[in-house]
Formats: sequence, structure tokens, C-alpha cells
Amino acid sequence: MSIFKIIRRSALLAAVFLCLTLGVGCSNNPYPPPLQENGADGSPWKVRYGALPEDPRSLDPQVCYDSVGKRVIEPVQECLLEYHPFKTDPYELQGCLLEALPERLTGDGGKTTFRCTLKQGILFHNDPCFPGAKGREVVAADVLFAFQRIADPKVECPALSTLQDYVEGLSDAFEAARKSGQFDYSRAISGLQVTGKYTFEIHLTQVYPQLLYWLAMPFTAPVAREAVEYYDGKVHDGIARDLFRFHPVGTGPFQISEWKRNTRIRFVRNPNYRTTTFPTGGWDPTRESELAPLAGRALPLVDEVCMTIFRESIPIFLLFRQGYLDGMGVGKDAFSSLITPSRDLSEKYKERGVSLHRDTEPSTYYMSLNMQDPVLGPNRKLRQALSAAFNTPAYLDIFYNGVPIVAQQLLPPGIAGHKKDLRNPYGYNLEKAKALLAEAGYPNGRDASGKVLELTLDTSGGSADERLGAEFQQRQFEQLGLRVKVVENPFARLMEKLDQGSFQIAAGSGWGADYPDPENFLFLYYSKNIPPAGKNASRYKSPEFDALFDQMATMENGPQREELVSRMNALLAEDVPHILLMHRSLFSLTQSWSPRIQSNPMLEGGLKYAVLDPKSREELQKHWNRKPLWPIGLLLFIFAAATVAGLRAYRST
Amino acid sequence: MTTSSQDWLTQSFLPIWLPNLAVLLGALLVALLVWQGNRSERWAVAWRRLRGDRLGQVAGAVAALFLVVGALETVVYPTDTGSRTVLQLLLSGIPQEKGYSAPLATNALSVSDPKPLLKRHLLGTDALGRDTLVQTLRATRSALWIGGLTSLVYIPLGVLLGILAAYYRGWVDDVVQYLYSTIAAVPEILMLVAILMVLGKGLGTMAIALGITGWVGMARLIRGEALRQMERPYVAAAKALGQSDWRILTRHLLPNVMHLIVIKFVLGFSGLVLAEAVLSYLGVGAPVGTPSWGAIIDASRSELSRDPLVWWNLAAASTALFLLVLSLNILGDALRRAFDPKSNS
Amino acid sequence: MFSYLLRRILFFVPIVAGVMLLTFALFFMVQSPEAMARRVLGPKATPKAVELWLHNRGYDKPLLINRIPEQPWYDSLFISQMRRLATFDLGSSDVTGRPLAEVFRQGALPSLLLTVPAFLAGLVMSVGLALYLVFIRNAVADFIASLLCVALMSVPVMVYVIFGQYLVAQVFNYFPAFGFQLNGWSTAKFLLLPIALMIVSGLGADVRLFRALFLEELGQDYIRTARAKGVSSAVVLLRHVFKNGLINLITLVVASLPFLIMGSLLLENFFGIPGLGNVLFTAIQLPDFAVVQASVFLGSLLYLGGLLLTDICYAWADPRIRLH
Repeated sequence: MSIFKIIRRSALLAAVFLCLTLGVGCSNNPYPPPLQENGADGSPWKVRYGALPEDPRSLDPQVCYDSVGKRVIEPVQECLLEYHPFKTDPYELQGCLLEALPERLTGDGGKTTFRCTLKQGILFHNDPCFPGAKGREVVAADVLFAFQRIADPKVECPALSTLQDYVEGLSDAFEAARKSGQFDYSRAISGLQVTGKYTFEIHLTQVYPQLLYWLAMPFTAPVAREAVEYYDGKVHDGIARDLFRFHPVGTGPFQISEWKRNTRIRFVRNPNYRTTTFPTGGWDPTRESELAPLAGRALPLVDEVCMTIFRESIPIFLLFRQGYLDGMGVGKDAFSSLITPSRDLSEKYKERGVSLHRDTEPSTYYMSLNMQDPVLGPNRKLRQALSAAFNTPAYLDIFYNGVPIVAQQLLPPGIAGHKKDLRNPYGYNLEKAKALLAEAGYPNGRDASGKVLELTLDTSGGSADERLGAEFQQRQFEQLGLRVKVVENPFARLMEKLDQGSFQIAAGSGWGADYPDPENFLFLYYSKNIPPAGKNASRYKSPEFDALFDQMATMENGPQREELVSRMNALLAEDVPHILLMHRSLFSLTQSWSPRIQSNPMLEGGLKYAVLDPKSREELQKHWNRKPLWPIGLLLFIFAAATVAGLRAYRST
Repeated sequence: MTTSSQDWLTQSFLPIWLPNLAVLLGALLVALLVWQGNRSERWAVAWRRLRGDRLGQVAGAVAALFLVVGALETVVYPTDTGSRTVLQLLLSGIPQEKGYSAPLATNALSVSDPKPLLKRHLLGTDALGRDTLVQTLRATRSALWIGGLTSLVYIPLGVLLGILAAYYRGWVDDVVQYLYSTIAAVPEILMLVAILMVLGKGLGTMAIALGITGWVGMARLIRGEALRQMERPYVAAAKALGQSDWRILTRHLLPNVMHLIVIKFVLGFSGLVLAEAVLSYLGVGAPVGTPSWGAIIDASRSELSRDPLVWWNLAAASTALFLLVLSLNILGDALRRAFDPKSNS
Repeated sequence: MFSYLLRRILFFVPIVAGVMLLTFALFFMVQSPEAMARRVLGPKATPKAVELWLHNRGYDKPLLINRIPEQPWYDSLFISQMRRLATFDLGSSDVTGRPLAEVFRQGALPSLLLTVPAFLAGLVMSVGLALYLVFIRNAVADFIASLLCVALMSVPVMVYVIFGQYLVAQVFNYFPAFGFQLNGWSTAKFLLLPIALMIVSGLGADVRLFRALFLEELGQDYIRTARAKGVSSAVVLLRHVFKNGLINLITLVVASLPFLIMGSLLLENFFGIPGLGNVLFTAIQLPDFAVVQASVFLGSLLYLGGLLLTDICYAWADPRIRLH
């Protein structure tokens, strides 16, 4: 057979193959088909489509601390307590796996005991690690196991460093395991006493009402021993099993049905879920008509969740526009296309029924000033001058599109002690700054001998934005006549400098609330927390502040505590160990078919409350993704013309 | 403590008129090359052949034009706020707006609030309101510097090691082969990112990093050609005459591989200019404040999802890059044909 | 032949050692192990947590050589890692703990699904077009084709991808703009666009290369002899030019084979294909030294394998070449 025939035949084959593939695959829906057509009761199967920026690092409940991991583990692993979804001012804890908030008993010497009772009849997910692949009931021994894992050095629990100061026996167990090289799970921890099948008591060495917040985190959630022993790479039935940290077995409303690395994670509803139902109240009265019909309903409200992993943000916006994502956060790339200068949603998207939401995180970002620095430390007026010179509103406008709120105090909104009308006495005021600088002994930036004062600003990162930000910050201080040297550090190096105290002014400091208690912010300036012991990077040391902190740390929220907190705020405001910048706010969008139910920042998504109208979504997707046919025609025409010309040239030789 | 990561080559110890010096040196180098070329028979023949190659001449002219624009952007003169380039001076009549605007538009790009522009812009403006044409022209400098500086690094390194390996053979050859096999086996990305993170970002450090990864190809090529040349009788004759190694290397071997160097330089240049776009995407491209085509192309990704569509920045940068690379490629081919008419390109 | 192979493989061992040393130096020149731990654990990590993390992964050992008294000199980070790699134990990710053999295995398939069809189809198209151009020997067509090829070569890959993705996925809505799925025939809809872009971006250079190759064959003496003997053009072209050019072609093809598995960083990032292309780059940014090390190790083995294959092909193709 001649070569030409072969070439012709293979070209034909290729063309046929191409047409087939084009025909079969010609749709721009990037998702796999849903797991089922209809739900158990015959209603259409609802799938919610979301986005993640990367694979979660660990889904081990005692380890998970990164933001992506927390979002993925939340629907799977329930905790002893949970936040009421609608109560954000103040936040309210309620029982989740526990029947109610624990009973608190105070002993002598400040020793407290929390008496907890688990709900009965809560089952773990159906998973091959249990006999018969059927999940068993959760019992108090599972909570003990969780606490033991917290103390296990091999687990690397980030909560250990805090909890070991309060829970009896935790630190001893850790040290013993560190010495012997292996944690002894047969020995119980004195601080976690199992008193019955469903009851246990937590013994603390001192007063610590904030423990309740830790009970709302996955660190303290009950873990089935069978799951840990079954997974971790062991082989069963000839199949090598995942590591436990990639295969959590919880009691939550969803189970992970599939995890394709770097691609997507799919959750399916837990058929045995009975722990909680939709709240029957607690929402804003304006939302009565929207939320009342859902009151008391069984959760979750959707059947499947498909989270795709997007390493870049531009495709998220693309897919959202095509209707393939039910919600998205508005990042920098998409911001200008979506939001008008008046912070409103642009017309095009309003017409599509998209809703814009703005949420303020309970976080505060600031620049740290080193109180142990020989120039800055003793000179309070200098620090005040620096703070007053910084044009925070302009900074937020330029680099964050003006979305976050200017921070007037350390505590963010939503945390008890935050005062809405408080104004930072050393907020932006250039004239005041210049006056303060003169009082500090550096009129116009020069000291007594006429030498210009030179300060060093340490910043992080090397991206274009970060560099522009650093330049802006430098300019703010140089307005006073000072000279500021900017040192760019890779992120880890900046963290190192903060820990070692080798900086004067450090940008990029901040803290996001682990739990909504003022202690979680104010402890950043407690003198006992100066590194390496803790995170007091500014090395702020004030006996008055410390005394107030000791008093208020373990108080119940109330007017007395508020009084102490506002005195501490006043101290910080005058001493200026930091230049306050912002409380982070984020814009997010939801499609018309998936209105937003709750927005509690303490919940990592609250997937069990999400709602969806699949019919409406399907219609709109079709409408938004129409395919024009003329390009195919054009391509075929060009191809045909080229072939004809080519053949002609060939024949003429 | 390290200083802020601007190009350290132009930062601490070099005054602002060093770039002018560089342009002067560049011109001198070209003159030297031409003078040297006139002396060689082979080069004179090639030049004659080149004269008949219309397309090659056009390509050469276009490349020269880019060179001129790049030089205009490199030559600086001091002002009271720092320094400014001659190109900026020539284009100073073009104002900066507040944000995007379409080519030849009279109002800014905004559906709700189109403010009038200060002036019409031929190719529109970018996100910060800077004229696209101005930015594209200014970015020529980055492309040329990356190509030029990197060539300054990898060509001497590659040629030297390649020739030495071919001439001395034995353990010298083994060492050179070991060196370039090892460096070639390390992924380029890792080397680039590591070197740039340690030395800081900037056109100069990029050139060093790209040069370190790039000399391998040149060394291999020169080594191969030099080995072939070594077989020729004139080398043995020179040795028999008792000429020193240095003389043989510089008077005989080097001139005979020079044409390969020139061709590889021209083609390599275009490859480097293309690579800059990818490097910008990876985050190891030109630093902030230095206009570069790669940065414009990278930024255009999000521009294409805007509404109304912002296409002019991508179009301008791609076209400029395309024209430069195309002319360099055609010129390289023409040179190859000029030196060896039998070669099929 | 066998002794030659053996000698080559032995020569590769110091190269791999050099590569690993260089990688080690490059990585830790940028940041110390403590800095790496801090980046992974985040700003809220306490110094104790950092120390524990380092200890659990062996990063608290001295870096290159252990000079602490009473400890063996070879109990250093670098040497213990080399010993592990020498047994082809790729270890586990520092950040997630996932066994790396599994990570690479899972990532290989999507990368291959992208690169192999693009390679094969691109090869067929470029060889076909090159043969065609050589055959018709029409000066005008040649000129236009050459120009077109050079033009195609002069566009940066990124522009092809950005433009292609914009036009086909966004404006025309033919294919998904992003995502991937291994699902029988549906897999094709995620791959067609990136494959097409890959082919187009390489077409210019390949056609020129093969055309030059075939033209070189055409200039040989035996072709003139055949023509003088009256053999028809078509037969001359195919039987002789193609077959003899095939040898050089195969050598070129074989040399590129090992790199197919490493995927294309750009395309995989843009289209969200979970292959090996961006494994290294993500690992450098995280940072995850275990992944970087294992990737470089495998990558260098592949590279050297490619060199070896090239040598073998040359020797097989041209018996005159003595493998010395």
C-alpha cells in the first residue's frame, strides 16, 4: 500500500474522530454529572457548585487550621458546640453534638469543671472503617480520644499550646509521649474524665470561660478510634487506604464522596444526619418571610456540593459569569468589572439577578512598632506622630478598593468591647502628626543636632501590589520629613524578624479572631506573651495593662468587663504600640437561584443551610451560554479552501 | 540589611548615567564588529549576499528601529526629581489619564460615568491611565535589555567553555560536559526562582539567572563546531608551527565559529524576548515600575474578562513583541543563508 | 554497546548527585528550614509548633555534614535524603504528608493525555506539511509557507493561550473554560482546546525543522542518481527522502519523549488540568522541599534518559558512528 493511501486514510480517520469528539463533547459545562437524578423522596437532586483556591492540607480534625481545610472539614466534622447562624451581635454558642451548653462548676483555687452531655443516637458516617460499613453511635470515649490526639506530638495539633495551659494533664501527656517517642492511648488524660456513656467532664486548672469557644472548633470534636486505625495507609481487602488526614469520618450533614487532587472535592448528603435542624428563630425580623418557611426543616437543604479547585482567580470569574458557580468572592481581578465606583453592583450583573454582599471579618490589621527599639520604645510622642501621619483611608482606597473599614481600635466589630463610635485619637491628621513630632524632639524630622531621623520599615512580599504598598507607606512617614528605609522580606523572614524583635516598624501584622472574645485580641499585648513565649511582637509591656488583662481575661461578658476592656483600649490608644490599619471586609456575590441564608463569619461556610433552585439555574445557564455556529462554518471554509489550493499545487508538479 | 529590591545593578553604587555609558559601549561594540567583519573575507562575502536578500534587509531595518527606540528609552538625563529617559521626553506631550480608555476615544471607559479625557490616545490607555503606545514603546527597553544582558552573560561563558572543551579535550572536556549536563538537568524554573529570590528582582539579575541556565546550549553548539574545526588541517599546521594555544584559539578557531555565535545570538535573542512573557506570568519577570511586554500581556488576562472588553493592551504588546521577534528570526535566517547559501532555511 | 551503556549510566550518577546538591543549595539559599516551616504553618504558629514540625520531618539536623561531636558525620539532612532517594523512595510531601509516588502517578495521566496527543498530532501535521512543501518545490508557496511558519513561531505561547481561551471558551462557549474530568469520551472536551493550542504554537518551528531535514536529504548525491535514472518525483520523495530523513526524525522524536510526562505548566495552569506541569512550580512557592527534591530527582533521570536514548538512536541510525 502506498504511503499516500496511508496518509489519506489516517487524515480521514482523524477528521471523523474530531467530528465525533466535537459532537459528543461540545458543551462548556465543566462539571461531572450529579451523583443522582432525584433525591430519596423523588424531588430533583440539588447540587451546589463552589470554588476553593487550593487543596486542603489536612482534614484531620485535630490538625486542620488552614482556611481551605476549615471550609472543607466544617460540613463533615461536627463539633461539640456550634455558633447560632443568625446571631452575630453578640455571637451565641449553642449545643451541636452536646445537648446544651456545658454546666460550669467552680472548685477551689480557680479549678473549673465543665460537665457535658452528648446527644444520644448521633451516628458516625457510614464508612468501611466500621463493621458492616455502618456508622456507630458517638460516645464520650470518642471525645477522650480526641483530647489524647491533641496531646500526641506526632499529630502536631496547633491548639495544644493554648489548651495545655488550661486542661489538666494535657501537657504531662505530651511531655511523656515526647520522651518515649510514642503516645500511650491506653492512659487517660486527667483533664478529660468520662463519667458515663454520653457524659464527660473537662477539668481545667484555672478559670477559663473561653474554653467554650474551643469546644466549637474541630480540635475537640469526637473522633472514632476505628477511623484512625483503619486509615493511615493501611491495606484492607487488598486496597491501600488513604491517610486519616485525607479521610475524616465525622457526624456532619455531608460526607466527602470524592476528592480528586487539584481538581475537585464532592460532598454528598449524610442520610443519617439528625444532629441539628434549621433554627426556628433568632433572625432579623426583616428576613421573616424569607426564613420562616425553612424553620425546623431537616438539614442539609441541598443534596450534593461540588467544590472545584481553582489555583487562579480569573477562571472563577469566568465560570461565575457563565452560571457555573453559585457564588464567588470578589477578588482584585474581578473587582473593577463588577463594582461601580459608588460600591454598587454594576448594571449588567444586577440584570442577571446577582446579589452583592459585604461582610466584615472579625480581624484587625496593623503595623507593629517595636517597643524595645531604642528610638521608638521610649518616645511615645514619636509613635503617636507616626500613627497620625499615616493616611489610612487613602491607603485602603488605593490598595483595597476602599472596601475594608478603617480600624479605630484593636477590637473588630462583632467582638464584645468594640465601640462603634470610637475614634482613634491618633488617626490620620497630618498637622497633628507634625506637632507631635516636634514635641517628640524631631521638629521637621530632624533631631537636636540637625540630623534627619532615619527609620526602617520592614515589609513582606515581592509582588507588584505589595511593592507599591510599601512605597506608599514609606511616603506617608516621609511626609514628616523623616527618612524611611524600606526592607523587603520574604514572608517567613518577616515572621522571623517579628519573633526575634529585629525590626523598628513592621508592616503586615494582623490577627483574625479564633473566637469572638476580646481576650483573643488583647492577649496580643499581654507582656507574658512576648516572643518566644507568645505573639506579642511589639513587645508591649505595661504593668497597668497586664493587671487589667489578668482581671478581665476570664470574666463573663458584661458591663464590668466592658469597663475594663475600654480602659485597656484607651491605654493602647495612647501608647501606640501599633499603627492601626483596617478590619478586613470582603465583597461576595450570589446568583439569583441561590440566595444567601447566613453570613456568620464564625461559620466556615455553613453549607448545611445553603439553598438552591436547580430549575432556574438550568434555564439561565442555557440562556447565558449560547453557542454561535458561524465560527465553525468559517473554519471549515478555510480548511476546504486550503485543501483545494494545496491539491492544485500538488497536481501541477 | 538588603536594600529594597530594585535592580541592584542600577541601585547602590552606579550613578544614573551608567545606562548612557552602556548605550555608548553598545554602539562601539557594533562598530568594532563591523570593522572586524570588513577585514575577514568570509564576512565580506556574506555581506554581499545579504545585500541581495530583500526580506532580510527589511527585517534588519525593523530590528534596527527597535534598537533605536530601546536606546532612546535607555539614555537618561538628570532632572530635579530623579532621572528621565529621552523617550519619555519625546513623548512627554501625552498626558496620563485616570484609568482605562479605548483607542481614539474621547471619554474614559466607564458605563456609568464616562469622564472626558485630556487627550485622544492612539492606542488607548491602561489601568492606571498611561498611554498604551507610550508603555509599549518604553517596554522595548526591557525586552532589549533582557536579550542583550543575557547574551552578554551566556555568550562569553558558553563560547569560552565550549572552545576550551573542544581544544584541550581530556579532563577539561569532561569537566565542561559534567557542568553543562548537571545544569541542564536542573529544572530551569527552580534555578530562575532561586537565583531571583536571592539576588532580588530586576532586569540585571534576570539576565544573570537566564544566562546561567542558557549558556549550556551555546557551549554545546560551539563545542560541536570547534571539534569539527579541529579536524581541519590548519589547526595541526598552526600547532606544528609552534603557535601558542592562545593564538590558535583567538586567531583561528574563534573567527571560524563566530558566524555560529552571531546566528545563535540573534535567534537566542528572540527566544529570550518570548520567554520574558512567561516569566512575568510566573512572577519572576521585570520588577514593578519597569514597563515590559510580558507584564502587559500577563495583566491582559483579567482585562479580557472585563465588560466592556479591554483588548488594546494585549494587542499592542503582542504586536510589538511579534514584530521584533519576527524580524529577528527572519534576520537570523538571512544571516544563515548569507554565510552558507547551501543551508536550507 | 552494552559496555557503552554501562559507562554512560555510571557517568550519570555523579551528574544526578551534582543536580541534587545544586537543588539543595538553591532551595536553602533562598530560605532556611525554619523559614520554610513558618511559611507552611502560617503567621499564627508558635515557635514550639515550628520546632515540632521541623523535628518530625528531620529538618532540625545539620544541613550538609554533621559536625556535632558524638554524632556520625553522615547524619545530616542532605545525606539522609540522598540515601532515601537512592532506593527510589520518593518520600512524602512536607505540607500534606501525601506519599509522593502516588502524587506523581496521579498527575502523570492528565499530563500525558495532554502532551501525547498534541505531540503525535503535531508530528503528523508538521511532517506531512514539510513533505508536501518539499515535494511541490514551488518557490512562491515555499516563500509564503516559510514566512507563515516564522510568523507562527514569533507569537509567544502565552498570547496563543490567552487568546485561544478567550475566543473559544468565553465568546463561543464551545469548550469548558476551566476544569478537568476523567470520564470516558467527555474527557476530550477538556483537552481539545489545550491540545489544539499546543499544536499551533509548535507548528511553525516543527515544519521548518522537518523541511530543512528533508531538503538536506534531497540535496544528497543518491537522489540525483535516482532522478537521473528516471525515477518519478513522488517515489523519490517518499521512498528515499522520507525514509532516510526518518532516521534523523526518529532521533529528534525520541529525544523529546521523556519530557512528555512532565506536562506543560502554562496550559495546565490556565485550563486547570491536574497534571505534573505545575507540581514543581507550586512546590517552589508553598514551599514544599520534599516535592521539589523528588521532582528534580525524577526530572533529571528523565533528562538523562533522553540523552541516552538520543545516543542510542544515533548509533543505530548511523553505524559509522562509533560509540566510544
